[in-house]
Amino acid sequence: MTAAFLDTGHRPRRGAAAAWVIAAALLALYAIAFASRYELRVLTFAGTQVLLVLGYQFVFGHAGALSLAQGAFYGIGAYVTAILGASYGWSFPLTFPLAIAAPTALAALVAAPVLRLSSHYFALATLGLAQVVLLAAVNGGELTGGALGISGVPSIAVLGWTLPRGLPLATLVWVVVALGAWLSHRLTRGLSGGAYGVLRGDAMAADAIGLDRPRLRFAAFLLSAGYAGAAGALSAHTIGVVSSEALEFPVMVTCLAMTVIGGSTRIAGAFLGALLLVHLPEWLRFLQGYALLAYGAALLAAIILAPEGIAGLLARTASRPRPPARPAPLPLPSRRVAGWGDSVLEARGLTKRFGGILALAAVDVTLAPGELLGIIGPNGSGKTTLANLLTGFAVADAGTIRLAGRPLEDADAAAIARAGLVRSFQTPALPPDLCALEAVAVARASRLACVGIGAALAGRDAGERRAQIEAEALGLLSQLGAQGVAPRRCAELSPAEARLVEIARALALEPRLLILDEPAAGLGDGERRDLAALLTALAHDGLALMVIEHDMEFLLPIADRVLALDQGRVIAHGAPAEIRRHPAVIAAYFGRAEGDAP
Amino acid sequence: MITAAQLVLDGVALGAAYALVALGFVLVLNAVGAVNFAQGDLVMAGGYGAAVLAGFLPLPGIVLLPVVMLLMAILGLAVAALAYFPLLRRPPSAVFISTIAIGLLLQNGALHLFGPGLRSAPPLWSGGQVTLGALALSRQSVAIIAVAAVLVLGQRLVFRHTRLGRQLRATAADREMAAALGIRVYGMIALTFAIGAALAGAAGTLLANQFFLTPTEGGNLILKAYIAVVIGGWGSIEGAVLGALLIALFETVVAAALSYTAASALLYGATLAILFLRPQGLLGEAAGRRA
Amino acid sequence: MTATVLAVEHLGTEGDAGVALADVSLAVGAGEVVALLGANGAGKSTLLRAIMGMVPACGSLRLGGRELAGSGPAARARRGIGYVPEGRRLFAGMSVRDNLLVGSLAGRDAARQRLDEVLGVFPALAERLATPAWQLSGGQQQMLAIGRALMGAPILLLLDEPSLGLAPMLVQELLDRVRDLARRGTAVLLAEQSVARALALADRVYALRRGHIAGAGTPGALRASGILEHAFLGADVALSNNPGPGGPT
Repeated sequence: MTAAFLDTGHRPRRGAAAAWVIAAALLALYAIAFASRYELRVLTFAGTQVLLVLGYQFVFGHAGALSLAQGAFYGIGAYVTAILGASYGWSFPLTFPLAIAAPTALAALVAAPVLRLSSHYFALATLGLAQVVLLAAVNGGELTGGALGISGVPSIAVLGWTLPRGLPLATLVWVVVALGAWLSHRLTRGLSGGAYGVLRGDAMAADAIGLDRPRLRFAAFLLSAGYAGAAGALSAHTIGVVSSEALEFPVMVTCLAMTVIGGSTRIAGAFLGALLLVHLPEWLRFLQGYALLAYGAALLAAIILAPEGIAGLLARTASRPRPPARPAPLPLPSRRVAGWGDSVLEARGLTKRFGGILALAAVDVTLAPGELLGIIGPNGSGKTTLANLLTGFAVADAGTIRLAGRPLEDADAAAIARAGLVRSFQTPALPPDLCALEAVAVARASRLACVGIGAALAGRDAGERRAQIEAEALGLLSQLGAQGVAPRRCAELSPAEARLVEIARALALEPRLLILDEPAAGLGDGERRDLAALLTALAHDGLALMVIEHDMEFLLPIADRVLALDQGRVIAHGAPAEIRRHPAVIAAYFGRAEGDAP
Repeated sequence: MITAAQLVLDGVALGAAYALVALGFVLVLNAVGAVNFAQGDLVMAGGYGAAVLAGFLPLPGIVLLPVVMLLMAILGLAVAALAYFPLLRRPPSAVFISTIAIGLLLQNGALHLFGPGLRSAPPLWSGGQVTLGALALSRQSVAIIAVAAVLVLGQRLVFRHTRLGRQLRATAADREMAAALGIRVYGMIALTFAIGAALAGAAGTLLANQFFLTPTEGGNLILKAYIAVVIGGWGSIEGAVLGALLIALFETVVAAALSYTAASALLYGATLAILFLRPQGLLGEAAGRRA
Repeated sequence: MTATVLAVEHLGTEGDAGVALADVSLAVGAGEVVALLGANGAGKSTLLRAIMGMVPACGSLRLGGRELAGSGPAARARRGIGYVPEGRRLFAGMSVRDNLLVGSLAGRDAARQRLDEVLGVFPALAERLATPAWQLSGGQQQMLAIGRALMGAPILLLLDEPSLGLAPMLVQELLDRVRDLARRGTAVLLAEQSVARALALADRVYALRRGHIAGAGTPGALRASGILEHAFLGADVALSNNPGPGGPT
């Protein structure tokens, strides 16, 4: 039961709703019957912090980006409320939406350049942004009250009726918190939550399944800003005073501490972290005034010992939850449509240099539907570079690539995956923290446009749809003989198992052309036979396959044609039997003795 | 009327201290690939250390400096033990957070131990100014420049021409390969943290005489160090020092021309512009080349 | 047979980091050049890394009679193993001189002396002591990588695909130097993809296939047995029947 309660952000479990209702009832009981006026105010403030952390979870927890601007967004919400409310006398129905809109607009404005930056630059950019906002507030003269800020933030008033402080205000704040938690739940409990897991777990994996990374990060960033604005507005009403302190680093750090300590991806974590950190100095009198010191120590302890936060710890150590009921595997709906004509892939003159090294020199590759093309060559011959160029993970210096006639030279990896050119990697790129089933299911959902904010709001990534997608994912794993690993974390899979999961994931995207980079490596004899049979069957169904392999025994029997590379050039091209005896191929593998011309 | 040359001179003095902060920051960055967010607070700790020690030991500033640096080196080892080594198998963002926590502890520890009031440390070279024609510089400023120059050059000397320096550089470049050559890489990393903290302590001692010390000084300084490293090129030691000098010059000149607030705002604005337009900084990412 | 420097018995690895090795046993004697042959993915690199302690492994590993298991790479390096990894992994920003010197843990004078000795083996490096490693050509980089490993005066030298990416003439020159080193007493274990060259250089050969030793013996014996072709091409191609590569060496 406890586990169900705490894991709500991940998977709806039995009894989860009941647990939340009980907790809410207990909280209400405390507020109504036991809390003093002061304690009620603390509880109300704690609610605003829960909202702040819920927002931060989008960008920090789900998207995995270390943003240091959350405090700034919070402060902007507070200032907007104070300025419009105290100085201009606007009422809550006007100021509250604006308090949410203002930081969201700022986030949207800076999102494009900021989100492109990699982690340590991103942190700095958000920190710089926060500093600029702080400077603006302190030097805003009459508008912002300068360093002293604005006092006299009015109570919440709607159509002339004023909401009294105390219990009514607390109720309103916590209702907003509940709404925020509900929205957060809706956006992250389904496969979209899994998509974020892939995004932060392995960026290459996210591209490989066609996820729109910029869009997902953009949504997370804006959501975090909006929630922060709401939290800032409500805390302004609660405290009644807004000063530049709200924009200073301690607020940001406290938010970070609450998020890490509570649990950065679990909704229960937001509640635990915020309630705990706000109340700790109240409960432990000796901590009064030492709050930040305590937060620092707790944050250090948490990041080292319990990186998933209290919610994560409890979810693991609490009574072992029933494993989620696994649906019966479903095959993918048959979809072998024609319409790609004779040529799936036409690549000409592909060239790539790394520094002074010519990795690939004017290589041509073509593929027709239903063909299985083998790519062989010694180490360093350019096989993986070729795969990278075709799938958008590297940019060619020269050459053209056409997928069913569409030029692809400038497309990015995710777009290429969405267009039907899917690959597996030499070292499997799987999100470490997701289980194998989820990894494949998210890919399937990506293909069916069931991930993202829109899909989550419409419920396309949860409920029955999710069950169906997961059933199809399980079906794909079964096709590869890997259904047994479905519930295991990707980080714990053996390389061979990970390879099979990757292939299942690739198939989930309904590719027209599948590029496999050393799929048989590490597989046992029986697994190899099964894989060979599967690949042959897929080709038979019309899928075009490019298989890069070292193991000739595996590759030559199943390939229709073989392309041999050496030092970046094509040295032989033809039927498997010819290639096996081709002098240039043998020379490449067995080396030349001294004095030979290349 | 302050001439441009005078401003430049003042800026250089400030830049000298900033350079020490940035140097300590970039050394750790290179060694472990992670941001030490506590670097600024270590500077503050060094300043307070100097101020407190001066209260007990009536030593001249020049003798106090190495004592503070030694104590700070030990603190650096503690930071490594608490915030880095427990997180070896985790991504660099975890160290970012753990060092934020350390910074928080240092800041608030100082606040409770010493109160929010201002403190200062004894000067290294007191009593008036040194004049160079029309230009004047306080003796302390000259001392700052001299000490910083000695330390920066000393770091360069050790790193380039001693066995230890080579081992430190190798550990920073490729930890696994360094181990395969017999180098005790964890010791090297701990040493790098100690050096970084010692440099921070030196900067703190020097700055704490010119500028009054507050517990929250660290936040400002870490931002400057971070910006210096970005401007100079992530991972480049020369770039970090150069970046620090540029920041100080920029601040001094713009603050004189407009205001301190304008200087800060423009600095952050310029940083954002660099991040968006030329993220590899002036001297480029030192870690770009492969052999 | 000369004194055994490296004795590996029943070595196995998990397969988490690279190919899973199973029941690998081999030996290298002082002054011997032993080659590991096999297609990619056969486990050559993993085996060398396991000997160096970079990959967890079970089984017995003895260097000069002393058991290595339980010690990490730094300790093994100090016991006398020189490691030249695939891709060389030089310290790109450091000069040739610094790259070499960092390979020695000895004091200043001893290190300088050793430096002179190593430069004697690779005179081409002596002309470029101040050059940053990244500016060197492929062949020079390979020499530097080997030189760096030699600075520690190792009794065992591990070479992982030293000929990768090098022009044929350079490869020959390099392998000649390796032969010289062995003649002076160093035990050499060499992983190579270029079969003909390895067969020309090595005293003994082990063929690896999918993590197992598929065959072992002198180059002549292995060439005649057909094991190598099976290991690489999985079929019936006889090396000695081919036009193309130079005749039997």
